[in-house]
Amino acid sequence: MAREILRRLRSWEGLLLVVLLVILAYNITRVPNFLTIGNQVNLFQLGIEKAIVVLIMTFVIISGEIDLSVASMMGLSAAVAAAVFEAGAPMPVAILVALGVGAGFGLLNGYFVAVVGLSSLAVTLAGYVGFRGLARLLVQDRSVGGFPEWFTNLGQRGLVGPLTLSILIFAVLAVIASVVLHRSGLGRLTYVIGNSAQVARYSGVSVARTKMIIFTMSGLISALAGVLMAARLGAVRASTAEGFELDIITVVLLGGVSIFGGVGSMIGVLLSTYLVLNLRNGLIIAGITGNTQTGIIGLLLILSVLVPNLAGRVQDRLRRRQVDPSMRAPPSGAAEPTRSQAAPG
Amino acid sequence: MSDAILRRVRPEQFREFILLFVTVGLLLFFASQIPNYFDPRSVNRLTTGLAITLVVAVGQVLVVLTRNIDLSVSSMVGLTAYVVGTILTRVEGMHPLVAAALAMAIGLALGAINGLIVAYGKVPAIIATLGTLALYRVVLVEFSGAKTVTTADLPDWLNDVPSATLASAGGYDLRLMVGIALLVAILGQLTLRYLPFGRRLYAIGSNPEAARTAGLPVQRDVFTAFALSGTLSGLAGFMFLVRFGNITVTAAQGLELQVVAAVVVGGVNIFGGSGSMVGALLGVLMIETLQQSLLRWAGISEFVKDAILGLLILVAVTADTIILGRLREMWVRVRRRDHARAQVAIADEGGVAHGA
Amino acid sequence: MGERGIGCVLVPTVLSWRPSEINTTDRVPTAGSWLPGFGTGDANGMIQPATERRLDDEVVATGEEFPVLKMEHVSKQFGATLALDDVSLALRRGEIHALLGENGAGKSTLIKIMTGIQTQDSGEIRIDGKPVRVTSSQDAQRLGVAAIYQEPMIFPDLSVAENIFIGHRNRGKLVDRRGMEREAAEVLARLDVTLDVGEPARGLTLAEQQTVEIAKAISLDVRVLIMDEPTASLSAHEVQQLFRIVHTLRQQGVAILFISHRMEEVFEIADRVTILRDGRWISTTPRAELTPGSAIRQMVGREVQELFRRSRREPGAVLLAVRGLCREGVFQDVSFDLRAGEVLGFAGLVGAGRTDMALALFGISPADAGEIELEGSRVTITNPRDAMALGIAYSTEDRRQLGLVMPLSIAANISLPSLPRFLSPSGMVRRAEERDAAEAFRERLSIRAPSVETPTSSLSGGNQQKVVISKWLETNPKVLILDEPTRGIDVGAKVEVHQLIDDLAARGMAIILISSDLPEVLAMSDRVLVMREGRQMAIFDHHEATQERVLSAAMGQFGDILPEGDGIDRIAAAEAITAIDRLVAGGRLVDGERQ
Repeated sequence: MAREILRRLRSWEGLLLVVLLVILAYNITRVPNFLTIGNQVNLFQLGIEKAIVVLIMTFVIISGEIDLSVASMMGLSAAVAAAVFEAGAPMPVAILVALGVGAGFGLLNGYFVAVVGLSSLAVTLAGYVGFRGLARLLVQDRSVGGFPEWFTNLGQRGLVGPLTLSILIFAVLAVIASVVLHRSGLGRLTYVIGNSAQVARYSGVSVARTKMIIFTMSGLISALAGVLMAARLGAVRASTAEGFELDIITVVLLGGVSIFGGVGSMIGVLLSTYLVLNLRNGLIIAGITGNTQTGIIGLLLILSVLVPNLAGRVQDRLRRRQVDPSMRAPPSGAAEPTRSQAAPG
Repeated sequence: MSDAILRRVRPEQFREFILLFVTVGLLLFFASQIPNYFDPRSVNRLTTGLAITLVVAVGQVLVVLTRNIDLSVSSMVGLTAYVVGTILTRVEGMHPLVAAALAMAIGLALGAINGLIVAYGKVPAIIATLGTLALYRVVLVEFSGAKTVTTADLPDWLNDVPSATLASAGGYDLRLMVGIALLVAILGQLTLRYLPFGRRLYAIGSNPEAARTAGLPVQRDVFTAFALSGTLSGLAGFMFLVRFGNITVTAAQGLELQVVAAVVVGGVNIFGGSGSMVGALLGVLMIETLQQSLLRWAGISEFVKDAILGLLILVAVTADTIILGRLREMWVRVRRRDHARAQVAIADEGGVAHGA
Repeated sequence: MGERGIGCVLVPTVLSWRPSEINTTDRVPTAGSWLPGFGTGDANGMIQPATERRLDDEVVATGEEFPVLKMEHVSKQFGATLALDDVSLALRRGEIHALLGENGAGKSTLIKIMTGIQTQDSGEIRIDGKPVRVTSSQDAQRLGVAAIYQEPMIFPDLSVAENIFIGHRNRGKLVDRRGMEREAAEVLARLDVTLDVGEPARGLTLAEQQTVEIAKAISLDVRVLIMDEPTASLSAHEVQQLFRIVHTLRQQGVAILFISHRMEEVFEIADRVTILRDGRWISTTPRAELTPGSAIRQMVGREVQELFRRSRREPGAVLLAVRGLCREGVFQDVSFDLRAGEVLGFAGLVGAGRTDMALALFGISPADAGEIELEGSRVTITNPRDAMALGIAYSTEDRRQLGLVMPLSIAANISLPSLPRFLSPSGMVRRAEERDAAEAFRERLSIRAPSVETPTSSLSGGNQQKVVISKWLETNPKVLILDEPTRGIDVGAKVEVHQLIDDLAARGMAIILISSDLPEVLAMSDRVLVMREGRQMAIFDHHEATQERVLSAAMGQFGDILPEGDGIDRIAAAEAITAIDRLVAGGRLVDGERQ
């Protein structure tokens, strides 16, 4: 029985689908017309910027690294766009500058990780603090708004039917990300490096170059998400997108991507994106506030790593018991029964 | 660098000297820029500001030494401060020590949860504590119902504590809070130096595989490190309550970065195995000095604070990887050479002939 | 350094031409007095069945105690590979017991079982006659069994004294630094060694680190000390110091299991010698009754079987010329020519520097000095891409860690080194082409898998190896370096790999074959280059290369006779060979000379 459940658990996407259906069912019964396009657009608009960054974070984590600086980068790019616009530049220029800053700092992250060889955890922790600091420096404690109408309209109004620009960008990027991850050479190398940077090296693959590309894209897409967020909110604060990295990383890990790299699929990540959006929606219906939602997401984050770990260990136990039942019984007259180690390795 | 220095000073000690040197340099620089920099009031403010960060940093050092990290400290500090504050407003005549002990007990429980997840659940510390960072904050939000603990509701003794002074010389005070923080740091340093547990923390971070092979209780020790980090965060939460009185649901938010930055800047290797409380103290001092002084230094806005913190972390980690690595290489080379010379000397003396 | 010896430690191996039967007379231990098989119970007073008692009662000559440690009928299987097959071994108080065997004979597995890193599938371990279970390193520590490895387990950030005492549980509530350092100095003094015990262990030489590990073992009242190739990275002087320590320990009653590939060391230090081959126990002999020649013969086990008959052809022009290649501290002064269509065998023991030399040619860890010429022009190789661009391919000895991305498909693994060729202009992988290429190799090398989309993790060792070779053939190399291509794979696959090597050579590919499987090297190679401890000992032509000659050169038994460094000096080599043959034929030399 337990083994049957474990076997099911092994298909993470299958489990996600089941959970998703449960939450979806809850939402549908509680909200009339939940599945109409209008409602679905609203659902996505709740966390569309995060959903966009999730796509690139998937690459980062599959390649065996992590980028903690994405949310700060979103804030920074929004602040840069606002500051450049405030300084009198036209909005398109401001947007380009913001994207450039994102790509530049992404490249810098990549350089320190791939070339200098520091841990991505430490490097992007510095970015996490530093980018936010730069955002503060730019907009201080003000709320910068007054963007051109076309800009805010892009963020808030439907562009194609009810679909906003952000949703369209997400849809396009999701397709591109899926294709690149599962079909392109870069995607192949992402998996290879995440599985074993050593095998990659012994096969003549440039590990550093691939990582630099991924981190640069991470910076660029985070910056794009930041600009889109500025458009949607119509105003920029230094605290824009604060704490988003938690959600983003959670969605990726919940999607079945291994924190140790090399494992995961875009399907799983997209499923978990939709799942978390629905979950947040359901929580709102149930009257649970935004802050508490974050806590639940935090809990999900821990569980999405803890559960497979524990499941794997239980599995190991079962297997060991199967293989050598004779070994379990201590030999007669053994000096003293020894306790087997609680955890292997 | 000359060999003579390398023979006497270990690279790790050298790093602490550099840090001390830079910090003193910074202090002197700001003293030359800011009038009345060393007057009692400023100094007292600097030391008081240091106290809470230092207590949390001591716990963080224990965790980082084992190649882990505890990002949930700020939420533990905030949660404890709020819970203890609320209890104090409701329960009459609670003894200050009981209140402090209660705070530490709450911290211990929270830290133990982290420890369980990381040490026994084998969830990477960054993930686990990023999760509990959010989780503990939410518990606080739920618990508070978005209400605030205010100074007015708190017992009077609590309001007297911040200015309580242990010793005073020429207007320079050693405040009780600072005294506690220093005591914690000293106890922490003694733990690291003289308790088998402390030495094992170094061993675990230094070579986890060897630690397991040597039969060290790795899981238990990692658990204990997290539990202690929680306990000290609890104590810091009590100090936070005492110092600020008004506790909102966002209390101490962002403190985790200050602490991690201080620990890393203080030369505690983020990959475990090396570092000391002295380093952490210097790291806290340096960051606090920079932040407070930059605010007062004309021309620098308050908003540059975090940008500088980020840069500091990057510089510290890079320096640690590159400079310390090179220093160690040089140190090893000098030692090897000395060793070889000694061997030759012995061989010459004793006429040890090799070969069958 | 990291690559060295990995295979020996991590990959359990079976040499697949295990002899169909083992000479049964060999199995009778030639040492130890035999007590009458009745009356004695084990330590718990239980009477053992007579059949088991025979081994139990093999007692030290004094006849009063059990062997300190005894392994009885221990077997261990990894997947389809039987790493240990019914091996028994007894260690007595105060003896130095050498364990000899080729790579893959089962030595590492035996040690891992003794120290609790692995658990045997069947059989028993007895300490002082009592059966014990050793399932963790703590168990082993408690029972007084400790091991010292070629790469010591040291805490670089802790002091020497702490490294010695870190595992101790009952040293009081406080760390008494002074007392600990004093005791550490005392322990080290017992070994006749002085180290600055207060200094951190970082930067100690390997020899010093080993000393610290020995001290750690002694401080824990070790009764059985296993030394797994402790001398592999030591200088001659350090080896002598180590031997002094080992002798001191023996006098103190410690049983020492000593593993070394250096024959002269074994004959210098051992009291008894046990030889393993193909996971089986072959013999246990007092040193005095054994000669290096007979030891080597027992390790090799048999006359060379006709494995595979190479189709001999005249090789083509010189393709790769290597002159004086060096990498400081790893290998030095390697020189050879490699012709098109030639198979150059690299023989030597694990850690002899063969893999390091290959890694230098492939640019993973480039050489410091020396010249590489490819097709007559000088080239520099600083990373694998340089090497690949020049047409050099290296198929790793460690296919699990370095050769394959296990969860990925056969096709994805085969296309990996030449991925750019499989990309469309938009950077997409042309899956159909990739599949076709993989399919071609699946057919040509008969890789047995349901499809080329099968993850390589689910393949057998032999088929995995074929995938690794395929991925390099796909790059169309001129020079193919095969590092241990048949280690741990079954007989059938092995023959197929040999057939493939012959095929490739026939088509004009130049092949370097690194193998610890001596008969294989001899059968497959046109010439054999022997390395020992980073030095090139000799190059033998196909017809001069015999097992005894190659193994002798590799183990350094006749190191002082063979011309060092320059293996191309044919006259010197011929003289050396004659000398060796004479000595081996005589069968006994070292003992007589030493005493």
